[in-house]
Amino acid sequence: MKNTDNSDLIVKCLADKFLPLSLVLGLYVILHGNISPGGGFQGGVLVSSAVLLLYLAYGYKGAAATISGKILHKGEAFGAICYIVFAMLGIFYGFNFCRNVLFSRGEIGDIWSSGTIALMNYAVGLKVLTGVGFLLMLVIGLLAADPAEKAPDASEGGELK
Amino acid sequence: MMLVNYIGAVLLLATGFYVMMTKENIIKIVIGMGIIDYGLNLIIVSIGFNEGGTAPIFTMSELKPGMYFVDPVPQALTLTSIVIGACVTAMALTLCIKLYEEYGTLNSSHIRRLRG
Amino acid sequence: MIQHFPILSIMVLFLGAFLVVLVGRSRIARTAVVSAAVLTSFALMVALIKPVMIDGQIISYWMGNWAPVSGYAIGIGIEVDALSLFFGLLVSLAVMLSGFYSFKYITQDDSPDLFFTLYLMLAGGVMGIVLSGDLFNIFVMLEVMTFAAVALTAFRSWNPNAREAAFKYLVVGSLGSTFVLLGTALVYGQCHTLNLAQISGLLSVNGINPTMTFAFALLFTGFGVKAFMTPFHPIAADAHAAAPSSVSVLISGVFTKTGVYGIIRVSYFLFKSMGMSSMQTGLVFIGCVSMFVCVTMALNQHDFKRLLAFHSISQIGYILTSLGLCSAIGIAGGLYHAINHTLFKGLLFLTAGAVLYATGTTKLEKLGGLARRMPQTAALFMVGAFSISGIPPFNGFVSKWMIYQAAYEKAAETGSIGYAFVTVIAVVTSVLTLASFVKVGQSVFFGELPVELENVKETPLSMRIPMWIMAALCLLTGVLPGLMQQYIINPAVRATLDYKGYIDAMMGEGYAAAHLADTVPLAEAKYTFAGAWDPAFWLVLFVIVLLGVTVAMMIGKSGRGAATAIADDKHDTFFGGEKNTFSQVGGGDLFWGFKYNFRRYLNVMGNAHSGVVNDYVTWGVIDLALIIVYCFIFM
Repeated sequence: MKNTDNSDLIVKCLADKFLPLSLVLGLYVILHGNISPGGGFQGGVLVSSAVLLLYLAYGYKGAAATISGKILHKGEAFGAICYIVFAMLGIFYGFNFCRNVLFSRGEIGDIWSSGTIALMNYAVGLKVLTGVGFLLMLVIGLLAADPAEKAPDASEGGELK
Repeated sequence: MMLVNYIGAVLLLATGFYVMMTKENIIKIVIGMGIIDYGLNLIIVSIGFNEGGTAPIFTMSELKPGMYFVDPVPQALTLTSIVIGACVTAMALTLCIKLYEEYGTLNSSHIRRLRG
Repeated sequence: MIQHFPILSIMVLFLGAFLVVLVGRSRIARTAVVSAAVLTSFALMVALIKPVMIDGQIISYWMGNWAPVSGYAIGIGIEVDALSLFFGLLVSLAVMLSGFYSFKYITQDDSPDLFFTLYLMLAGGVMGIVLSGDLFNIFVMLEVMTFAAVALTAFRSWNPNAREAAFKYLVVGSLGSTFVLLGTALVYGQCHTLNLAQISGLLSVNGINPTMTFAFALLFTGFGVKAFMTPFHPIAADAHAAAPSSVSVLISGVFTKTGVYGIIRVSYFLFKSMGMSSMQTGLVFIGCVSMFVCVTMALNQHDFKRLLAFHSISQIGYILTSLGLCSAIGIAGGLYHAINHTLFKGLLFLTAGAVLYATGTTKLEKLGGLARRMPQTAALFMVGAFSISGIPPFNGFVSKWMIYQAAYEKAAETGSIGYAFVTVIAVVTSVLTLASFVKVGQSVFFGELPVELENVKETPLSMRIPMWIMAALCLLTGVLPGLMQQYIINPAVRATLDYKGYIDAMMGEGYAAAHLADTVPLAEAKYTFAGAWDPAFWLVLFVIVLLGVTVAMMIGKSGRGAATAIADDKHDTFFGGEKNTFSQVGGGDLFWGFKYNFRRYLNVMGNAHSGVVNDYVTWGVIDLALIIVYCFIFM
């Protein structure tokens, strides 16, 4: 990345090194949610801390240039719709809502041993990742906006577990 | 069992209510809401504790049938409550920013246009 | 297939909310998604009327097929009996009509896709509460509903008061949710289960320990915050005035009913404490205070929607009073008034929204004479005003008559004069409501048209159709009370008093009989609804009211005289009949003399609603402490 201002060189260097680490740790926690402590929400918050790292190192302009708010907003709705579709799989197979219908593969300790629960976990992880990321982008945008420019309407409501 | 936890949780709840009732800065009111959340979460987790129990995880056959383990339901309740607390704090702080833009002050006794 | 309908009717609303985010930019797609979601949800609820209400079946549904294992419930359950279906119908009807109204109404604000996302989340959250059979599920849906309502209150960026209203609503609302969660945690600690039916089987009033008394007080107060009980009502006034009108319909008509539903489930089903006369007195007292304080506050208001909000809370006071009487006719009156309140209060808020859409203001001083330009809106407002005051043939008359009769029968049955006093307060509140609406009608619709409002046009057609449907329903439910009673209200009343059926449906046969050996029995459901019009009773009532008014006037005489008259430019015009060129007396001053005589009381009340958020929290915590002390003394 272009270093135009040498006064926060240390912060920029450390952010560059820590960003891949935090992303990998967060994705690990999401993916192994059904067999170890963690899961969708915790992993999603870890991954979305990437937004904060970018803001600390490069300011609002740098963070907004890398991460697009629109994709995060649509990704959040997509994650929620995936969760509802996976939960409705139970009704399509003839059981009740949220029934674990893909259960019969693998044994205890594998990633695929829990059937629909793993898929719902990934949907929750995607939703929290994009949702908290978008929320952080909005709040940073509110703080960094000029007085002349109209700040976006920043009210995020509702979560689905 | 766990008397220290319960006393600590009640003290946190009392502190949170005191902050919400008497402090005039709206950011401090939001912090008070957060302290009440901490006290609540501590009570919920402490309710599920069984003396001498182990963690309720089945991986790598650590937990054999017949072993005594801690109740996992309050842990799920606490997780949901933490998420809800984070969302409430986020929304409240955003409203504080917008209130400061409109009224120019963070003092709750000056933010009083709707009364009577 | 029928058993999937409740969960589908909740999930289709949430699915619609997230689809609106994806396709939100284009107007046609957004309208299609929202219409499909609310219509499907309403249709699924209507399809359940025949099995649940008419045939008396209770749908019990375990998510994920986790059926109870050796008598312990381990899954999340959804249980729909006639009471839940009653509230579900009410909610989905209000959501559907208000949704169709918002399509045109929201064109005056920006970002309509965000509006419909939050709107459908609010609707889904409320449906989740009334259909659920699990205590923590109720808490999560309560929080979803609170967030959506707060975000919608803060929605209008051109209204400078909206953010303040939303902040106060968030602080006091999260206080209520804290109480509910604390109560739930304590109940879990005692019963080790979260299923409503199983908790109801395990707890019985005779064997209740102090922790459970504390949990009852917390749950009751928490749901009371959501129903805007007395010390928590100032935030309701702020929120209703700041929110867009279609959302005000939902907050006043649907959100408060979930608080009432929560109070019914906690008092009648979980703790079965309504059989004790001390609990009945407590709830009736809270209802009466709500009724009376809010209707007197409403006389002082200068803003149309804030006045409607105060009336809304006073009608909730009617419902709480009637539910506290714990007789079959009392519960029937309360539930009938609940559905009537949603209909006529929804109609009134929609007319307020139409006035705001056409003229851009809701202040009573700036409006006037709109009946000439908007005749249909004025007619709809008159229908709503007659309904809320309890004038036949509209629906308010039927339910208020049932409430008066229930209170009076309770007084005759128990012999205590206190319940006759409740009837008096209810009648006086009704009269003051009529007075308020005559004043509002005169200020807004009749009278002189100000110069700047010469060009207002009638409300657009797509906004008028939901209003006409609501007015027609107001008339129908008033003219056909027999049909309403037989098919909708009586099954709900029977379901409220029949907790054994509720428990057996979820946990298997025989569970209730094994566990509920010694409980205080609730009232029998007697159906002799002949309407005892005995002239002797009404003469006694009239004498009581006359004595009361005489005593009040004699005490009030100490406030007269020149030394205590406040300098007011309208005083000479009203009291002395002086001619005054610049007297500033307008249509809103119709009851000025009445307000002047009671000015000390109204000043105290006005200062008590101070607008500082710390005061509201203090009132809330003091009220919680009083309810805890009351429960410990009397339970």
